[in-house]
Amino acid sequence: MPKNQFINPDEVRKSKQLEFNPIPVNQYNKTIEQEKENFTKEDFLRIFNDMVVIREFETMLNLIKTRGEYNEVPYNHPGPAHLSIGQEAAAVGMAYTLDVEDFIFGSHRSHGEILAKGLSAIAKLDDETLEKIMETHFDGVTLAPVKAGHTGTTKELAVKFLLYGTLAEVFARETGFNKGLGGSMHAFFTPFGVYPNNAIVGGSGDISVGAALFKKVNRKKGIVVANIGDASMGCGPVWEGLTFATMDQFRTLWDDDMKGGLPLIINIVNNQYGMGGQTCGETMGYEVAARIGAGLNKDQMHAERVDGYNPLAVIDAYRRKKKIIDEKRGPVLLDVLTYRYSGHSPSDASSYRSKEEVEAWESQDSIVWFGNELVNAGIATKEELEQIKSETESLITSTLKLAIDDDVSPRMDMKKYPNLIGEMMFSDQSVDRMEDREPEVNHPMEENPRVQQLTKKERFMFDANGKPHSKIKTYALRDGIFEAIVDRFYKDPTLIAYGEENRDWGGAFAVYRGLTEALPYHRLFNSPISEGAIVGTAIGYAMCGGRVIPEIMYCDFLGRAGDEVFNQLPKWQAMSGNVLKMPVVIRVSVGSKYGAQHSQDWTALAAHIPGLKVVFPASPYDAKGLMNAALQGTDPVVFFESQRIYDIGEMFHEEGVPEGYYEIPIGEPDVKKAGSDVTILTIGATLYRAMDAAKILEEKYNLSAEVIDARSLVPFNYDTVIESIKKTGRIVISGDASARGSFMRDLASNITELAFDYLDAPPVVVGSRNWITPAHELEDYFFPQPEWIVDAIHERILPLAGYSPENDFTEEEQLDRNAKGI
Amino acid sequence: MAIPVLMPRQGQSVESCIMGQWYKSVGEEVSEGDLLFSYETDKASFEEEAKADGILLAAFFEEGDEVPVLTNVAVIGKEGESTDEFAPGNEGASVVKEDEPEQEKKDEESSKVIEFDVEETDEERRIRISPLAKNMAEKMGVNVQSLKGSGPRGRIIARDVEVAAQKAGEVVATPKAATPEPVQPAVKPAAPKVLQTGADFEVKSIPNIRKLIASAMHQSLQNSAQLTHHLSADARQILKLRKKYKKEYADGNVSQNVTINDLVCFAVIRALEKFPQVNTHYLGDKMKWFKKVHLGLAVDTERGLMVPALQNADDLSITGLSYQLQQLATQARNGNVNPDLLSPEAATFTVSNLGNYGVEIFTPVINLPQTAILGVCTIIPRPKQIEDGVYAFVPMIGLSLTYDHQALDGGEATRFLAEIKDQIENLSV
Repeated sequence: MPKNQFINPDEVRKSKQLEFNPIPVNQYNKTIEQEKENFTKEDFLRIFNDMVVIREFETMLNLIKTRGEYNEVPYNHPGPAHLSIGQEAAAVGMAYTLDVEDFIFGSHRSHGEILAKGLSAIAKLDDETLEKIMETHFDGVTLAPVKAGHTGTTKELAVKFLLYGTLAEVFARETGFNKGLGGSMHAFFTPFGVYPNNAIVGGSGDISVGAALFKKVNRKKGIVVANIGDASMGCGPVWEGLTFATMDQFRTLWDDDMKGGLPLIINIVNNQYGMGGQTCGETMGYEVAARIGAGLNKDQMHAERVDGYNPLAVIDAYRRKKKIIDEKRGPVLLDVLTYRYSGHSPSDASSYRSKEEVEAWESQDSIVWFGNELVNAGIATKEELEQIKSETESLITSTLKLAIDDDVSPRMDMKKYPNLIGEMMFSDQSVDRMEDREPEVNHPMEENPRVQQLTKKERFMFDANGKPHSKIKTYALRDGIFEAIVDRFYKDPTLIAYGEENRDWGGAFAVYRGLTEALPYHRLFNSPISEGAIVGTAIGYAMCGGRVIPEIMYCDFLGRAGDEVFNQLPKWQAMSGNVLKMPVVIRVSVGSKYGAQHSQDWTALAAHIPGLKVVFPASPYDAKGLMNAALQGTDPVVFFESQRIYDIGEMFHEEGVPEGYYEIPIGEPDVKKAGSDVTILTIGATLYRAMDAAKILEEKYNLSAEVIDARSLVPFNYDTVIESIKKTGRIVISGDASARGSFMRDLASNITELAFDYLDAPPVVVGSRNWITPAHELEDYFFPQPEWIVDAIHERILPLAGYSPENDFTEEEQLDRNAKGI
Repeated sequence: MAIPVLMPRQGQSVESCIMGQWYKSVGEEVSEGDLLFSYETDKASFEEEAKADGILLAAFFEEGDEVPVLTNVAVIGKEGESTDEFAPGNEGASVVKEDEPEQEKKDEESSKVIEFDVEETDEERRIRISPLAKNMAEKMGVNVQSLKGSGPRGRIIARDVEVAAQKAGEVVATPKAATPEPVQPAVKPAAPKVLQTGADFEVKSIPNIRKLIASAMHQSLQNSAQLTHHLSADARQILKLRKKYKKEYADGNVSQNVTINDLVCFAVIRALEKFPQVNTHYLGDKMKWFKKVHLGLAVDTERGLMVPALQNADDLSITGLSYQLQQLATQARNGNVNPDLLSPEAATFTVSNLGNYGVEIFTPVINLPQTAILGVCTIIPRPKQIEDGVYAFVPMIGLSLTYDHQALDGGEATRFLAEIKDQIENLSV
């Protein structure tokens, strides 16, 4: 919503019609004779060789899966192998022109792309760099098996390394490219520009956009190619990624040299089937996938369909499209038509297609056809081609033997090191800045209007007489978050932040007010209303080495980013064998007052997923310290904030919120008020209701309550809570989430197990009701109130003399509610 | 004021004791230090002394009753003082007392004594009590059977125990301040009662310890897959060492008369250090591996078999080991061994020596959850080839290793047994 772009009613209301440019379909028509001027014999043979290598690699996997042996080498591989036999020309054509620093992202069917891009990179890298890459990857662990006894050139060794690293990964060996933690559907090797392949259809559709964003924002060489299938065009996150990638602002609003489109090619590997569904004629309506480009921007994403059965046609398209990207006119959409003979997976009986169809495509097989072309054009002899094939076969055979040898290629020793995977879930590093250069800002921090305003605020809520300062003068929770973030923007040049209404507006809850003035467009911008892409692009951005703060305006919208938050963000550090870091801090604002779809605390969803750190500060001091810690780390953090307390002042830390930098370690709950008779442990804004409950208990019932703020959910140090229970013997756990399946229940169950002998009553959970959140006027019947906590203590823990509870916390009521599911 | 006499708690694991003989009868005068009654724990018998002067006003249990520890068993006080409030199940019930007619109360009381039959209490009297309150009650010596809970649904909670403790005049400063009670000397178990006499038989009761041994042995055979390997070791080296120690002891050079059994135990400990998988407890779905060797020693006593554990036996020299084993065996025979050391969990491995009785081969029964036990048999001269074609009689000591096949395989067990043999044959101390 930039003010400088005037929406003129006279203009936009005018009558006119949109014109579309024709979308080219299979326009390439050069003969191999004509291409002789563009390719040497060596080039032609390299293309042929790379296709043969992919074909043989996958044929081997197919035989292992279906017959349990290849070239008389028996092996049982129970894991997945989604093969792309038939698609080799598309993969090699895509990778051929790409430079080492060009990144590809892929799908569950990407062995061909890994090998094609790897072979392309090997051809382009000098020996010294290759050696360094191979020797430094896991300190040479992946290299060692192929290096032993190798006699040929460095490039030949690198090819063995590529095949071995990939296959060992497919077979879950510790010597694989990702220690066997990625496997067939996820394998990748970043030094060759091969970025994560993704087992979720369309998973790369937004992650790759984030990678292109990283290249652009940080002025990195190279382009990003998203290899996604034709059927993934039916996935929401892919559309969100496309929408994000084609935002006008790149060309209209971003400053100076940042102006221009993303360096991105959406490469639809169109094998015409989504598992068994026919995308043209059955499950989609685009007929030709390239048509999609026309719906996305004025350039129609320069979309065209290319014949993916002719490697030269694909190479030709890439040469032309790379030029468009160099001119900052990206992104580009390519529809590379191809076909797989192999089934979706070895269990596929091909019941959805006819034998005639498969045979018709096989009769036009790209490797056979291309070989014949080379022979007919006098470029190579049949013998030369046969030699390539037989050399490849022995290469694949020896790679297989190495990769299945348990001594050479062991799996991770989980018996000896039972926590090996656990130790990989988080990288737990402390890093000031992800790159060492001057951050781009608009003015020195002290000149920022918000920063100046904050110097005048009261950093502790009460004055010397214990009276609260006026709201307008009080340094609030939103200020704490702001201070941590602005500080990091001036420290880490890679840090960017985006989400809905982040620029100009300053975020829906004014946390970012002042940031617009401080930062150029490319560091703070408004995204489309695409939560999936907001998080997905952040993942791609972080994978490439940047730090990023995506924002989800309401916690209720987290579901819109489900795959990204639950499947992608938490998993890539471990799935990469700790090659990747994931410094992403998702800010998630938990609402109230706005009813059923704007008021939910979904902390439990985030806490359930292994690989995410989860925090929920409730005071300005904690908010700033925890945000500092989150931004200093290298792990994904879901940072929950409550809209109910954005303007609350600091009432616990008596020195007030420090002006300087400090961190509060993630995972440490904090005693906000000491007490001796009962402990109240809270998550989020409920802290203040617990404080009120403590007051009632103290004043009316002479019961001293200790109030602990969980602050973090994952990780969580129980020592503080157990120590408290040793003192009090009683505990209530409260928070704004609906009680069923909440993190409060998790706390209660762990506390019961860990502090059983000290408990005078079972831990009692006082959460929100298992209903829809009603209107603001009825919220007190939904969210835990101070009286609820007292009621629960009276009815379940310690009957209070002369007390009559307002709410029913009896066992009967609990049974009944559970029986009814409410 | 009258004071109650509690059933003492002997060791952390003891939950109840069997009442033995009363040495004083109700109405008799007692002085501090007088023996009041005897009682049996799982593995030993003890006597309780009076801790105050006065008249024995009441005795709540009879011989053979199972009494939870820290329960009131008697009251000592001045003549005429009421004892009702101390009766088990009636502590702190003075409020109720006033409302009820005297006669009714008495009836109830007498029936309550009968209710205290061992079998029924566990099943029928389920007490709702918080874990904290339960722990506090144990440490403060409050009998929870009689407490009325003030928590939700009548749950006994911490404050109820505090109030009860105050009433009983036994406030303990903090619940954590419990100190281990001194171990008291035991007495011989009472002679078995004749339950039935027939023409050619008598049915006799069996002492508690017999029941416990019976149950442990039966459980062991039911709940494990045990089998025994036998082999024998050349005993010349240990006989040599034994001779040496015997002489040195006689000459007064060493303080300890090291026996064959000590030497075998010493060899076993060395072997266990090399085979940590045998120095374990088998726990069904997991194994507990010990870093130290706690050696169980089967001791035949008048009360029955006892297996006290020698903690950290691997830290000891041969004379240290010999001394400690001797001490332990003596304590077991005298019945004043710390009951905690008698628990099968206290030892990591057990040695049972029947060599003195001339036993040539036997199949010892494992003390679960331990994974193995070594039976040591007598020394027999056996023909052995000492050089090519030359045979001689060599003293051989028999070794019978019973192991739980659930935890160990035959190969491992055999290698371990061979290691013991090796240690015995090449023992240096």
